[in-house]
Amino acid sequence: MALGGIIRGKRTTLRTPTEDDLGAYGRWMSDMRVRALVRPWHEPAMPATWKERLTEQTKEKNGALWSIEADGGVVGLVRVGFGWEPHRDTAHLHDLVVDPDEWRKGHGFDASLALHRYLFDYLDLRRVTVNFTVENAGARRIADRLGYVEFAHKHEVHFRDGAYVDELELLMERPVWDERWGKTEREYQPLGAR
Amino acid sequence: MFGPRIIGDDGVELRTPTLEDYHLFAKWQLEPAVTRFWGPRLQDEPPSGAEERMKKDGESRTSLLWTIAYADEPVGFTGIFGIDWVRRDGETGIFIGRHDLYGRGIASETVRLRMAYIWNELGLHRTHNWIALPNQGSWRANKKSGYAQVGTYPRVGFRSGEWIDEWLGEAFPHTFPQDRMPPPWK
Repeated sequence: MALGGIIRGKRTTLRTPTEDDLGAYGRWMSDMRVRALVRPWHEPAMPATWKERLTEQTKEKNGALWSIEADGGVVGLVRVGFGWEPHRDTAHLHDLVVDPDEWRKGHGFDASLALHRYLFDYLDLRRVTVNFTVENAGARRIADRLGYVEFAHKHEVHFRDGAYVDELELLMERPVWDERWGKTEREYQPLGAR
Repeated sequence: MFGPRIIGDDGVELRTPTLEDYHLFAKWQLEPAVTRFWGPRLQDEPPSGAEERMKKDGESRTSLLWTIAYADEPVGFTGIFGIDWVRRDGETGIFIGRHDLYGRGIASETVRLRMAYIWNELGLHRTHNWIALPNQGSWRANKKSGYAQVGTYPRVGFRSGEWIDEWLGEAFPHTFPQDRMPPPWK
């Protein structure tokens, strides 16, 4: 479960991360445009340290990491944690980072839709949750379009640029997925009656 | 990290855990009477694991744990976990392992002492917690020391045929009632 397999979107592909992706990971985590919006998935570090982090991620039993690829290059990462034993029927979207130079091209939504298709239509989960700051307009647009609803508004959580900013908690339930996306988004075509 | 001894009112005090306390912590978390709003009541370590867990907790730089004592006996544990030293935020929690002592104000006094220490000694900006909504004793105890509800997380846990929502709370130094500040900070 520690590293994700292939999930195909229309314009992006979520795939297993490799050591070749780590240079890009390091660039994004040291980019102030990213850090203003999200807590970094690890701080900037030596290449050897990033390799160790990837090795540690492979041992992670409660989540999975994917690289997001588009147009033949890595353009982002996504990391998901799975719910508690014994049910393990929910997931939390810990990180969704898109290369700031690739923003506003639709990669984030395309990758998110593909990921949620995998979570609901393949893993059969009951719910997915996410949190992000009130300033993260891109995340908000993606969440609204997918069908997330807000269930908490937390105050003064994320610290950037010398001040705190609020953070939202949102969730998306399986019935919402089924109603909004279930007819058009499938991991596989139905087998039909045999 | 472990917390230092803090003496409260009505026989309640927070103190640094011992290995004997850790054995009790593990035992309590397997008891149905005190885990209705807790975890799955499964043990995931051998009896010898308590010492290793205590060592890890003591060495952690992102959590702080106390034993709750009442009338000089260990009755539960409390602390703050997942401390983010950049955001200066952490998640607080409390577990009373003695069902026969419910309703005596132990939780309220524990939260008062814990929060006073967090604001006056750790320099944090914010704390938060997630509490089962039907566990009124717990979130009321937290409210008395400055917690406020910021949301409700629906249908989180399932117990005895019904879904249980969670009460999401947060607290700040300025929300702690100054007239409830315990010594030595009063």
